[in-house]
Amino acid sequence: MSRLAEVLPRRIDLRFLLLAALLTVFGIVMVISTTAGSPRGDLAGKQVLFAVLGLIAAGVFLAVDYRILLQYSPGLYGLTLLVLLWLPLFGKRIAGSKSWIKIGGGFQLQPSEFARISIALLLAWILENDDRPILKTRTIVAIAAAVGVPVLLVLLQPDLGVALTYLPFIAGALFFGGLKGRWWAALLIAGTLAVGGSWFLLKDYQKDRIRTFLDPNLAARGAGYQVRQARIAIGSGGILGKGWKQGTQSRLGFLPVRHTDFIFAALAEEWGFVGVAVLLGAYGFLIARALAIARDARDRGGSMLVLLLIVNIAGQFLVNVAMNVGVLPTTGITLPFLSYGGSSLIATWCMVGLVLSVAYRRYVNV
Amino acid sequence: MPASAREDRRPVLSRIDLALRILWGLLGLLAGVYWVHQVLRGEDYERQAENNRMRKVPVTAPRGFILDRNGVVLAENEPSFTLLLYRRETKDLDASIRFVAELFNRPFDEMKRRVERDRSYYDFVPVVLQENLTVSEVGAVQARALEHPELVVQKTERRVYTQGTVAAHLLGQLGEATAEQVAARAKTRPGDESLPQPGEAIGQQGVEASYQDLLAGFSGSRSYVIDSFGREVGESGHVDPMPGNTLQLTIDAGLQHLAEDHFAGKVGAAVALDPKTGEVLALVSAPAYDPNLFTRRVTRAEWDVILTDPNRPLNNRVLQNLYSPGSTWKPFMAYAILKHGIDPKERVFCPGGLTFYGRPFRCHGKHGSVDLATALQVSCDSYFYTMGKRLGIDAIADTGKHFGFGRATGIDLAHEKAGIVPSSEWSATVRKHPWYAGETISVAIGQGPVLVSALQLARALCGIANADGALPTPHLFHIGENVRSGERFVYRPAVKESVAWTGLPRDIVLDGLWRVVNQPGGTAYGSRVAGLDLCGKTGSVQVVGQKEAKKGHLLPEQLRDHGWFIGFAPKDDAQIVVVVFAEHGEHGSSAAAPLAAKMADYWVTKRRAGPPPVVAQAGSAAPRGAN
Repeated sequence: MSRLAEVLPRRIDLRFLLLAALLTVFGIVMVISTTAGSPRGDLAGKQVLFAVLGLIAAGVFLAVDYRILLQYSPGLYGLTLLVLLWLPLFGKRIAGSKSWIKIGGGFQLQPSEFARISIALLLAWILENDDRPILKTRTIVAIAAAVGVPVLLVLLQPDLGVALTYLPFIAGALFFGGLKGRWWAALLIAGTLAVGGSWFLLKDYQKDRIRTFLDPNLAARGAGYQVRQARIAIGSGGILGKGWKQGTQSRLGFLPVRHTDFIFAALAEEWGFVGVAVLLGAYGFLIARALAIARDARDRGGSMLVLLLIVNIAGQFLVNVAMNVGVLPTTGITLPFLSYGGSSLIATWCMVGLVLSVAYRRYVNV
Repeated sequence: MPASAREDRRPVLSRIDLALRILWGLLGLLAGVYWVHQVLRGEDYERQAENNRMRKVPVTAPRGFILDRNGVVLAENEPSFTLLLYRRETKDLDASIRFVAELFNRPFDEMKRRVERDRSYYDFVPVVLQENLTVSEVGAVQARALEHPELVVQKTERRVYTQGTVAAHLLGQLGEATAEQVAARAKTRPGDESLPQPGEAIGQQGVEASYQDLLAGFSGSRSYVIDSFGREVGESGHVDPMPGNTLQLTIDAGLQHLAEDHFAGKVGAAVALDPKTGEVLALVSAPAYDPNLFTRRVTRAEWDVILTDPNRPLNNRVLQNLYSPGSTWKPFMAYAILKHGIDPKERVFCPGGLTFYGRPFRCHGKHGSVDLATALQVSCDSYFYTMGKRLGIDAIADTGKHFGFGRATGIDLAHEKAGIVPSSEWSATVRKHPWYAGETISVAIGQGPVLVSALQLARALCGIANADGALPTPHLFHIGENVRSGERFVYRPAVKESVAWTGLPRDIVLDGLWRVVNQPGGTAYGSRVAGLDLCGKTGSVQVVGQKEAKKGHLLPEQLRDHGWFIGFAPKDDAQIVVVVFAEHGEHGSSAAAPLAAKMADYWVTKRRAGPPPVVAQAGSAAPRGAN
């Protein structure tokens, strides 16, 4: 143990950890601001508790050798699928979807958030086993299946937002794994067809979201309301913002789900463009740091694991921030580290732990 | 790890580099989007955010009181409730309107039309849905406040005309500003935020309309911070309304009452002026209506009663109805006679009528040999036929125009009619046929195409009553007082007009008019008042031609002639000019002169009793009721 205490501070990637911690603190500050004076006033306290639990979980993932996890990843993945299958069949419906498992004490768990970890591990394991510069077709099919099955299961709950957060895995795995040019072309066509085809699979409210995304003023009262209100919140923040707890849009309830999906708009209102720039910068450095860790990882498995995890976080972050300002359609995608929510925050910190674990073991002699 | 594995990682490393560039590119793009919204369009969004969370409830300025010349309150305000609809907070407009329509038992379509009509460009400006809510209606709305946060009850003030129907025509009435009126007023006062919104009550007639700007004051507002459910969570500021100015009219409420009482159940008009200043002392048009009807909801039935009344109570008979002057035209003929150098002592023999151009013209009596003064006293038609023929139509028309006939007097009330003073030129241009000499004989006694208003007669008579021939502009505005600053504005006449008496024996005309009332044989002798020295002239106007009358297909009352009386008192220093018109009153002597005498007596006695009463201060301390 004494050796660990000696080595730990040197081996842990402090920059990555601190950036993740900084973003989490940002989140807590914004949850305080967006829930103050409302019946949800206790949410900030809960978020602090989730952050602590996340930190502990990260410690656990740091302590366990990711190589062992990679080895067992097919088994972990299988277990995850069982849970995801169990939910729509036997789960209790909470707030319109069967995404939650009650664990008592008023707390509940969202397995689909944690599923991201086992998906990332499985994909990294697959990519480790195909270490040629260009991926084999078999591998590509395996990647598509490994992501596609949980996406379908989560859509059954139904939880479109979380299902969408799995898609960056495919993009990340194919991009970093290596793909021939004609595969990219085929994917582009398939993607376009899928987007067009999925229009007929979407529920009416989801179609409305897309429509109003294209023209937010079309239905200022209806589905366009969120987008319009979020833009007003963001825009009225100006350069310096209205100040902490001074955001009129979020405080007076104009901003929808302001402590979760639209927390970034609330931040933009209260901290202005300066706050936005700082936050974008923090994310940028966090992601860049993860890319550096991937570059320095001791093996292809570790490298791929970090890349997949950070692509997942970055994808959520970019989509959420773009969605807040109305550049992308509104989907229930949370902002990693910032949005209120235990499952999301703890799962994200598990991923932080995995990244740190890869960084920690970058030297062969550990 | 074999060395080849290291080799294998090169593509991955280059992809990481590419990923890094894509990352910073996307971040830069996002920062750019936020820059556009927060910095470039920030102000616009800031305004939207402000509108988002603010509810601006207009606070209507209390309308200025209207007082009579002695401070008697004619129009004041009382608290009232108005229902406003905030469209921005409306989730389902039809549901909101349906709720209100059911509550007030009004047709849904009508209410919806009103909302559509009155909606302004900004959805945070409320639409007036309903005025003058009862307390129970206020309660009913407020009980559903959570369900309908878009409906807000606003406390306002409602106009109250304390004297009921008295002075209705001169006070006028309020009505909702139409979109056209709002647009027209916005043109004259661009950028003025206090301008009325559609649906707001503004003066539509009478003094209320003439002095709308003076009386209306400036609306204020109260701003509330509201949450997304439309609930008020605090007040964020207010702009106090600026109350309207108090307006003191030249009217004497006592005189007004006296005249209106006389007309109870009758049809007619009366106007009294101070001949020196043009101050309107009384202005009566009968029948009247209750202007209070218009400050609350006018029901269809009430409207129908007013609109279908054959006596047209909305008409102001003093300045909107034109009549033949009849014999009241003769004093002005007298001026024309003197002006054209005809000797007032010259006599004309009246055998009960004369023949001109081969056609008989009847007189109403056999007056024998009469001079000018006597002709006025007994209203001898033969004398004026003779003199009219000698003067010719254009000389008569000149004098008529000189006295202000044929054009508006310029009183501070809208919709005044001009009247007609016929001349050969008028005949050629308007009628498109030449003037017939025989018509001149009719015009000489105030018949034929000549048409005047009661107000024109009153103003013209000032030219005789005043020794200097002054023709003041009749006006109702006496003193305007700014309730806040105490600053006062007094009426100042714009143009001074007069008829010239220099070198003319005015006393002969005065004598003739004095004898009408004060000497046996005078047509208004029955109305004389001891010591009043009332001068005047009666007149009656045929309603239908003799032949038509004989057909007998009209009701007897509608067949009867109109009766006029015009007069002033006292003779040597006139303080009041009175014109009374009794529609179908048959004779001026019996139907009009007694009231005129009473009015003149009231005023002259009041003036003799002491100096004009001190003007009372406006406000709650102002005395109420007539006298």
